[in-house]
Amino acid sequence: MTILTRLEQWKEQGKISSEQFAHLAGLSRQEPFSLFLELNILLYAGVLAFIGGLGWTVTTWSQQLGDVLVLTVLSSILGASFWYCFSRAPAWSAAEMATPSTIVNSPIFDYVLYLGALVWSLELAYLENRFHVLSGQWDLYLLATAGLYFFLAYRFDNRFVLSLALSSLAGWFGFKISHWYGSEWAADPDAPYRQYALLYCLVVGISGVLLQRRGLKPHFFGTYLNVVANVLFWAVLSGVFNLHGYGVWFLALLIACGASLAWGLTRQQFAFVAYAAMYGYVGLSSLFLRGVRDDTTIMFYFVVSGVAMLVLLVQVGRRFGRKA
Amino acid sequence: MSIYSASSEETLRARKLLSAWFGDGLLTKDQYDLLETETLSELRTTNIFLRLVLFLFTLVSVGAAAGLFFAVFLSRSSDQPAGVFFLIFGVICYAAAELVVSRFRLYRYGIEEALAVCSIVFLCVGMHAAFFGNRSYSSEDAAQSLIPAAGVVLSLWIWRRFGFSYAFLAAMIFVVFLPGYWISSLAVEHVMVAALYAIGLADVVAVRSRHRLDYLDERYSLVESMLWFGIYLAINLQVSRLDFRMQASGGSWTAPEFGRPFYWITWVLIWCLPPMVLTRGIRQKDRFVIVAGAIMAVLTFVSNKPYLGWTRHSWDPMLLGILLTGVAIFIRRWLDRGAEGIRYGITAVRLSGKDQRWLNAVASAAGLLSPQVPAPQPSDTDFHFGGGSSGGGGAGGDF
Repeated sequence: MTILTRLEQWKEQGKISSEQFAHLAGLSRQEPFSLFLELNILLYAGVLAFIGGLGWTVTTWSQQLGDVLVLTVLSSILGASFWYCFSRAPAWSAAEMATPSTIVNSPIFDYVLYLGALVWSLELAYLENRFHVLSGQWDLYLLATAGLYFFLAYRFDNRFVLSLALSSLAGWFGFKISHWYGSEWAADPDAPYRQYALLYCLVVGISGVLLQRRGLKPHFFGTYLNVVANVLFWAVLSGVFNLHGYGVWFLALLIACGASLAWGLTRQQFAFVAYAAMYGYVGLSSLFLRGVRDDTTIMFYFVVSGVAMLVLLVQVGRRFGRKA
Repeated sequence: MSIYSASSEETLRARKLLSAWFGDGLLTKDQYDLLETETLSELRTTNIFLRLVLFLFTLVSVGAAAGLFFAVFLSRSSDQPAGVFFLIFGVICYAAAELVVSRFRLYRYGIEEALAVCSIVFLCVGMHAAFFGNRSYSSEDAAQSLIPAAGVVLSLWIWRRFGFSYAFLAAMIFVVFLPGYWISSLAVEHVMVAALYAIGLADVVAVRSRHRLDYLDERYSLVESMLWFGIYLAINLQVSRLDFRMQASGGSWTAPEFGRPFYWITWVLIWCLPPMVLTRGIRQKDRFVIVAGAIMAVLTFVSNKPYLGWTRHSWDPMLLGILLTGVAIFIRRWLDRGAEGIRYGITAVRLSGKDQRWLNAVASAAGLLSPQVPAPQPSDTDFHFGGGSSGGGGAGGDF
């Protein structure tokens, strides 16, 4: 029985109204057919291609074009983009807004903002490379950029720019490490990265929670949480892979997996269940197989552990995971 | 032929649609609860994340089980017995996939999918070891074409039986290897692959017309788009024969390697195919075919200069970006100006919350992968500024 037949039956049985039937039957027949997603992806691809070409052109031709022309062009695009966004943006709201594109009836609003954000990065890079304004202190650029992106993301309710902000902040943490990297880390070169990754998780996680509690764009919380979870798991796993002092990291991994599993199951966010299963399995396997060289033992371990994970996940799936 | 009954699949489809409509506010809670009880299915499904993890752990378990068997019993064995056992493993995996579906009614659950995939891999590896183990790979040994041929047959069977679209993709990939065993001409290879895909396309188009309104439409839509795209890749000599060493040195494939008439015919075809596919997609209101047509159009623009032997310029991507953005804005504005924002049954307005959720996911992922503030370069006298490849760290790459 096709969905159209079912809809007819439900209408005849009075379970849905005639208006609902007409609307739902139309949707089932794809009448009208929406190109919303495709057009948005086309716009995104267009901005990315444009910015890629702009970066390539500036790199290749900057000496011939001269600083004045390059900076004028970049500043014009930047100014025009931000002018467009600020002049057309609806009044700010702490809650999730209908997309600004819809409110201001401009299909390109989000993408103009995205273009502006990327051109900002390009211009900063050009300025520092040519004029060394901050004497090579790239971490300050990244921090300033992250700050600007966070402001833009919250002002215009834009997830593209929020993701840019989070990765810029991660970049800032990365640069801090490269500045402070010294001989004391020679025994464990991953240690500083791990520490700053954990600090990054702490800062971003707490900020995300506070902003959500205060009702400031609470729908961004999922993005914060996903980024934090992945960075945290990578950091903790790198500690588990250490030859010495891995016990504490393994304990941390177990706690992180438990928390991720509990969050995923209670909130029905199964990405977190998957994180717990995958990262936990990798950590546990590295511990069990430490020093094991015998192929038979390794294979035996993977058979037993793989089957055990399957049984466990099937049980989880049967109990919690039916909904897509 | 399908292991799932049509009524089960239709019921699952109805259930999914009900859930989407309720999420979009088109049904009340009471209506949803009532109608949901009428769309109960005996098939056991799971969400995408658990499906992926289950798929992965099944692969790990099966692969390790095979490895363990060989480590314990066949560590000093020659290729032929090993090949026979690989074939037996293939049969066991396929039987297990059938069993878990018929016994536990698993549907896109990851486990049965991984078992089916393993059966294809074991079949091909087993055939190679059992029949050609002592011979090295040679494209002139036509008998070895039995391996990809078997891969095609089993992949197609699994697609028909279980409905996994990626099994169809696997069959298409196996097809690419077939002509190389039979003929030595590069041009004929391309033509044969395109012809085989075209035969498949004709079949799919013929069958599909009977399923416009049922659950099979989406499955055939995906397969049709893959076939169109496959034909395009077989025809576009610049894309399908990407030689990265050649690309790095600024070179490209030229007419003499293929014969001048063939080369220029394919150039004409890569310009004809995208509009044709886009037109079909729009007329059929077929999302996957439209996307395939759009990607083909972009690839045509990208590969046109290498085709003609012209020099690429740094501003080419900018022009492409302007073109893509311009096209998107024009289509959107044109559709918006129609009565109620609809022209020829097509709208640019979002009709489903699912589209917005997809866009949010793409936005979050794309933002993290976008180029950002470039990393510093070691100070040098020559002007040259570097760039990040992804993420804010932008670890030291160049633009």
